[in-house]
Amino acid sequence: MAWFNNCEGISRRDSLKLGLGGLIAGGLVGGLKARAASPLLNLSRQADACILIWMDGGPSHYETFDPKPDAPLEIRGAYGTVPTKIPGIHFSQHLKRLASLSDKFAVVRSIRHDQGNHGAGNHYMMTGAPPRIPVGCGAFVSFHPSLGSVVAKEVGAPHGIPAYFSMPRMSRSGGPNFLGAKYAPFVVADDPANTAFRVRDVTIPNSLTADRFISRQDFRREIDRMLRINDAAAGDPTLAADEFFQQGLQIINSPEAQAAFNIHAESDAVREAFGRSSFGQRALLARRLVEAGVPFVTLYEGGWDHHRDIFNVMDERMPSFESTLAALIEDLAKRGRLERTLVVALGEFGRTPKVNSRGGRDHWSNAMSVLFAGGGTPGGIVVGATDRLGYAAIDRVVTPENYVSTIYRKMGIDPDKIVHTPEGRPTHLVSEGTAIHELLG
Amino acid sequence: MNVSRPAKLAALLITATSCFAGHANEPVSFELDVQPILTAAGCNAGACHGKQRGQNGFQLSLLGFDSDFDYQAIVQQARGRRVVHGAPASSLLLQKATATTPHGGGRKIDPASAEYTVLANWIEQGTQRRVTGEPKLSDVRLDNVELSLASGKKQRLSVHASYSDGSIRNVTDRTTFLSNDATVAIVSVDGEVIAGKLPGETAILARYMNHIKVCDVVIPRQQVVAADFYDRLPRNSFIDEMVWSKLRKLGIRPSEPIDDATFLRRAYTDIIGRLPSADEAREFLAIENRNQRRELVDDLLERPEYADHWANQWADLLRPNPYRVGIKAVLNYDNWIRQQFRENVRYDEFVSQLVTAKGSTWTNGPATLYRDRRSPDETTTLISQLFLGVRLECAKCHHHPFERWSQDDFYQFAAFFANVDRKGTGLSPPISGGEETVFASLKGEVRHPVTDEVMSARPLFGSLPPISTNGVRSNEQLEPRELLAGWMRSEGSELLAQTQANRIWAALMGRGIVEPVDDFRSTNPPSNPELIAELGRHFRSSGFDLKDLLRTIVNSNVYSLSSIPNETNVADRQNFSRHYRQRFRAEVMADSMRQITEVDFDFEGMPVGSRASQVWTYRSDSIFLDTFGRPNENQDPPCERTPEATVTQALHLMNGVEIERQIRHDHGYAAKLASGTFSTDKIVEELYLAIYSRYPTKSELAVGARLLAANDPVHRRQSIEDVMWAMINSPEFSIQN
Repeated sequence: MAWFNNCEGISRRDSLKLGLGGLIAGGLVGGLKARAASPLLNLSRQADACILIWMDGGPSHYETFDPKPDAPLEIRGAYGTVPTKIPGIHFSQHLKRLASLSDKFAVVRSIRHDQGNHGAGNHYMMTGAPPRIPVGCGAFVSFHPSLGSVVAKEVGAPHGIPAYFSMPRMSRSGGPNFLGAKYAPFVVADDPANTAFRVRDVTIPNSLTADRFISRQDFRREIDRMLRINDAAAGDPTLAADEFFQQGLQIINSPEAQAAFNIHAESDAVREAFGRSSFGQRALLARRLVEAGVPFVTLYEGGWDHHRDIFNVMDERMPSFESTLAALIEDLAKRGRLERTLVVALGEFGRTPKVNSRGGRDHWSNAMSVLFAGGGTPGGIVVGATDRLGYAAIDRVVTPENYVSTIYRKMGIDPDKIVHTPEGRPTHLVSEGTAIHELLG
Repeated sequence: MNVSRPAKLAALLITATSCFAGHANEPVSFELDVQPILTAAGCNAGACHGKQRGQNGFQLSLLGFDSDFDYQAIVQQARGRRVVHGAPASSLLLQKATATTPHGGGRKIDPASAEYTVLANWIEQGTQRRVTGEPKLSDVRLDNVELSLASGKKQRLSVHASYSDGSIRNVTDRTTFLSNDATVAIVSVDGEVIAGKLPGETAILARYMNHIKVCDVVIPRQQVVAADFYDRLPRNSFIDEMVWSKLRKLGIRPSEPIDDATFLRRAYTDIIGRLPSADEAREFLAIENRNQRRELVDDLLERPEYADHWANQWADLLRPNPYRVGIKAVLNYDNWIRQQFRENVRYDEFVSQLVTAKGSTWTNGPATLYRDRRSPDETTTLISQLFLGVRLECAKCHHHPFERWSQDDFYQFAAFFANVDRKGTGLSPPISGGEETVFASLKGEVRHPVTDEVMSARPLFGSLPPISTNGVRSNEQLEPRELLAGWMRSEGSELLAQTQANRIWAALMGRGIVEPVDDFRSTNPPSNPELIAELGRHFRSSGFDLKDLLRTIVNSNVYSLSSIPNETNVADRQNFSRHYRQRFRAEVMADSMRQITEVDFDFEGMPVGSRASQVWTYRSDSIFLDTFGRPNENQDPPCERTPEATVTQALHLMNGVEIERQIRHDHGYAAKLASGTFSTDKIVEELYLAIYSRYPTKSELAVGARLLAANDPVHRRQSIEDVMWAMINSPEFSIQN
């Protein structure tokens, strides 16, 4: 592992050894001369885990949480609305189950930013940092660590279980960037709706019997004779390999860990409730994973880039999607887990006010809606508002920085924390670390 | 108030310690008194007000490199609330610094301190930008530049600043001291170096304003090694000579030489990126010839895998983001890189072609560099770091915090790329797949971001005269990038050679002589200065011949040292007294798996039978390569290649379906061994040769034979597969010994 000097000149390795991490944050010299605890932040953790439902492409705010029934037809579109449990607040017509659950979550209607293409919007919302250079729509870019990677590093998971899952793929800017590959998402591409589904690597291959797996361990014990250099000063990588091998075995042999991966243990009733779709079963798997201590799971759901035919496509998709989302929230609530589990659903931006000539809506970052449930989020509230026609967030306008900081705060991570790039440059996790206080409760 | 008292100021400056203005009527200088206090207190550190957008609306230049900027921030911004001339104590500057008013950074300055008094006096005196006749800081001197300390011993450093009027001031109190490796020696805020418990060496940095000085600290071993011990060590080349000489200085002994089998495994994996086959291993181990190692090295350097293995390592550093350049350009660029290694093109020529590249990204591979890096400053950081080992990135936005590089240096270098222009499809969403042609325009300029001045192109040092890139130039004139390439091959060639030699050395030895490998600077000294200098010289005089460089290193005795430490060198991790074990890189692991099992990986989008070292984009899916780490070119910077172990790696070797398929494939090696006529002993021997590149010991043979004892063919094959699994899941497979 290469270690670098940061701009204060001390290497990260040294600071770990010396326990100086906190001092660096305040500037080494200043820190040593006069260290005062920052009085401004209360970092008590509200959530032990976050399930991030990423609606890639950018879901329309009109057809989800911010309908404008009084706007002209070309803006309000083909859909009606449904009332929620919050007086005066309506959702778009397909969100029936979510509307009846609206006392369990909050909606932010006023996130606004300036990155109107997918690559850039993804990056901004997934990391809290705008992209450093212009990036195209199809781009997958990363200039800054993602939410999931930061949580994996700062919170971690027990028994060596991967701390950041992403299913069925990594989101565009969901990587670790300079935090290093250790904090990359553990991607489970296989479909948990399949009867033969297993979580790769953390369970024994289907083609292998448990007996044979045990016998392989015995073989290995007899064969492995490489000399270990036990003096830590020597930095022998075999020691880390041994440690991780044992951790791996622990995962295989731990009934709790294996239960987390075994979606087949769920009753049919529960599997039905989440929906038998791939997304439904992934949401259920996510719930099992967070129960086992995984602090961050991204459920990547593509296909929200409705440039054409938005109403027909939504008719097809939305009922099942919202039903899974509602089932996840209900299930967590029923199991007493919602209080400590944050569920967030969003995409990279909202969509244009006027329905275009192809019956779709285009990219629009002046307004977007985000759902926040659990993890200490007050239920039954709506934060902020767009204007009468939904063109732009105008009331209590918040930024992607505020949004990302909110998740960090809930996870007990200081958004102002300083991390170092490989060049040694100190940078804050979020450049402006103010959380959306209404969501902190 | 009388502020123009130069004589008094000079008198003040010569005072040795705690010299700072103590009386309200002694003029205080902003640059010479105030800024050093703010810097020493950490106010302008990168994490505080020195960061790019400041902190809570108050921004200072990083570490005080821009006095005018800081003066304005303090005196003129915030409607002047930061300083109140009539009542210094109510100035926000002092209120915050002393935490009288709530301050996110806490209390930085004690109201009873001399520092406080100086700041208060400066405000009282009317916050002068300059005192009349004020001298300039001209140099900073550290009294010790080399220290040899016994364990636990202490030594105080002192720092003196000298000024343009000849005065000298002791500035130890205002100097920031930092240890490069706090496990070897630490340094207190006031400059006391304390040697750690273990022998070793490090550098102590002392920074006063923009001057950085280095003191090399050595903690030698106490026990004495016999005087003639080092004289009797074998020497094949300058490498051995210089490493032994360093070890003699430190009093540590090198590890023992390795046997032929260990050498074989090292040489194969290092030079061609895969394990030897069982047959290749058997053949080599049967030779009894004094020159067999040299002959093996010569042979390996001519194998086709050599080019792929080394091109793959260079591609790590150059590979562009396919979303920016289009996939066709990525392939074209990759092909060009491989061709350079196949033809063993001189390294300086390789670099020159990249630096001066033009033409279509669809026909001329290196032109893609300029499609990927679209602005002069993006190109500057890449070229200076990759080829010259100079990290200029910092100087883009501020004076480099521990080097001499300023923003002027950065933008003068960037001006070499001012007239690089492109035509064709630019960054066209969604995939940027089009063709683009890079050409030298007659226009283009780079401006300094602060002064807005148009910069002349100028190399980092040396005598190349400044080149104006502004305005129309005649076509006969060499274009700036050609001049830069010429400079890199002449005056810059020492750095060019050393940087690449160091990179190759690190790939073979597990650590650079300079580490990180592309961070050459006085404040990050090489662990063996003579060695890196000579290695660079050797590389240059060989005509930048990469194969010769590899051969020279691999044939040294130092390369063939065991990884097993003795009692003197167990803690040595930078002087090459033993081989530093490391896990193979992802591609070497994958190609070795393929070599052993005789079953290909299925790399998405690659022809059947492709090796991992031939995969040319991250977009070719491979859970194996992702798990063991390969740079994701979508990330910026892309060259993260972590050798660190993770639990997911252990789990993937253990349970990965692709690996399981390779081990248990009907046409795989295990099946072949099971169905053949080999005796059990012979099968054990084959497995050891194929996986560990050595013969089993007697007891290993006995154990192996017992594990394979099953008689019926189904169980026999199964036992072979399971032994194979066990061997692959032991560190002897994945970690180079």
